[in-house]
Amino acid sequence: MDFPENLRYTKTHEWIAVEGAKARVGVTEYAQKEISDVVFVELPKQGQAVQQAKTAAVVESVKAAFDIYAPVSGKITNANKTLESNPGLINQSPYVAGWIFELELSSPAELNTLMTAAQYHEAIHQASKH
Amino acid sequence: MTMTLETEPRKLPLHEEHLQKGARMGDFGGWLVPLFYTSIVEEHTAVRTKAGIFDISHMGEFLVDGPEALNYLEKNLPRRITPVKFGQAIYMPLINDQGGMVDDIIVYRMAEQKFLIIVNAGNIGKDFTWFKARMTQGVTLTDLSDEMGLLALQGPLSQTILLECFGAFYKDLRRFHYKDFEGGVIARTGYTGEDGYEIMIPKHKLKQVWDVLFRVGAKHGLLPVGFGARDTLRLEAAMPLYGHELNDEITPLEADLEWAVDLTKNEFPGCAILKEKKKTGILKKRVGFEMTGRGIPRQGFEIQKAGKTIGTVTSGSFIPTTCKNIGMAYVTATEAKTGNAIDVMVRGKPVKAVLVSLPFYKGKG
Repeated sequence: MDFPENLRYTKTHEWIAVEGAKARVGVTEYAQKEISDVVFVELPKQGQAVQQAKTAAVVESVKAAFDIYAPVSGKITNANKTLESNPGLINQSPYVAGWIFELELSSPAELNTLMTAAQYHEAIHQASKH
Repeated sequence: MTMTLETEPRKLPLHEEHLQKGARMGDFGGWLVPLFYTSIVEEHTAVRTKAGIFDISHMGEFLVDGPEALNYLEKNLPRRITPVKFGQAIYMPLINDQGGMVDDIIVYRMAEQKFLIIVNAGNIGKDFTWFKARMTQGVTLTDLSDEMGLLALQGPLSQTILLECFGAFYKDLRRFHYKDFEGGVIARTGYTGEDGYEIMIPKHKLKQVWDVLFRVGAKHGLLPVGFGARDTLRLEAAMPLYGHELNDEITPLEADLEWAVDLTKNEFPGCAILKEKKKTGILKKRVGFEMTGRGIPRQGFEIQKAGKTIGTVTSGSFIPTTCKNIGMAYVTATEAKTGNAIDVMVRGKPVKAVLVSLPFYKGKG
């Protein structure tokens, strides 16, 4: 499975790409496989404030709805509207075309609580042993 | 995203075969079952256009026999059993003394005084107790659930595949009829709204049958199908599911299953209550709806009309065939009209939907 080195990861399977005070968020390759066919996405609104580890978006498969948590706190600056008509992009391209929202970080120090690609890879490996 | 971890559920006899085919396993009523192999969408489509095979060996089987078997069932089941011929099967709910549904079952007549009953896996214990509590002399009740396995072959090409596997002997099998097969039966029944068969055989023969079906079926596009697509298929065909549309408090009248109970009978449990209810009228009714706004309905979501609660969603999903978001629900009987515009409360927000007639999909099944 592919976990790009330049991203940071959460225990709840979101990735974040940080560029200065801004960041882009999506779900990992592992998450899209676990969710399977994504058929619906509920996006956050521009300007909406989100809190670290709190629900910011919802991704639904045929069977169930999954909350997508904000990896860090901030204010939503953009959401990937294409997902509304083509939610399957999350499965096809979780790190590029399937990004979910962008935000402006309010507490950049929170980034220190996130995992590197290697740490995330190890966390999944440990979890799958149970 | 949060995911739940499974706790020690029971394994199906073909557990290893499912893993070999790449199944994502998950918990279903205490059983570890294949949720999907490749994708729910792909598997749903295979059953609607070609064929799919399901391992439903978790289901329960009871044998009722003895010189008084027919009388016993006639007295306790809500449909007439006497007219059911050997080689025929019949669907019905099992009813409690209050008129609620204990389960829904299929009764196969094997001989004059011998019947096989298929029950839902999650209800095996409860149903067995129900049958046992009503036992009379001259009747034997045996739980065969641990000995029998069940496969379902469903889809427009299922007949082609079945005949190629097991011969022309099964050619003219009519809907809800069955023939003997390898110490069990092949019945023309199913839970998908599509043509198909259910193959019930002793557990140790499952693998052989599973392998033959794939060997022959592969060139016809046969796919293994998990419980995810089983649910979307039955929902699309508007077939009720125990724990969703059916439970011990809901009567068959409310569930729109009056066709599966015979109110001219006088003896079965709850019979008098159902007759009375039929006279006075029901307060809520099972309906189907289609979302017109953006959102997927799920079990337990509230249904409102002009800000007032009128019902609850019992099943809901995105449906691959039509790409629509649909559901079944119970709503106040006076609101249960096709075309009625309603709001489904999705995560606290009203999303528009409209009541439609059932089923959502009508195949040849």
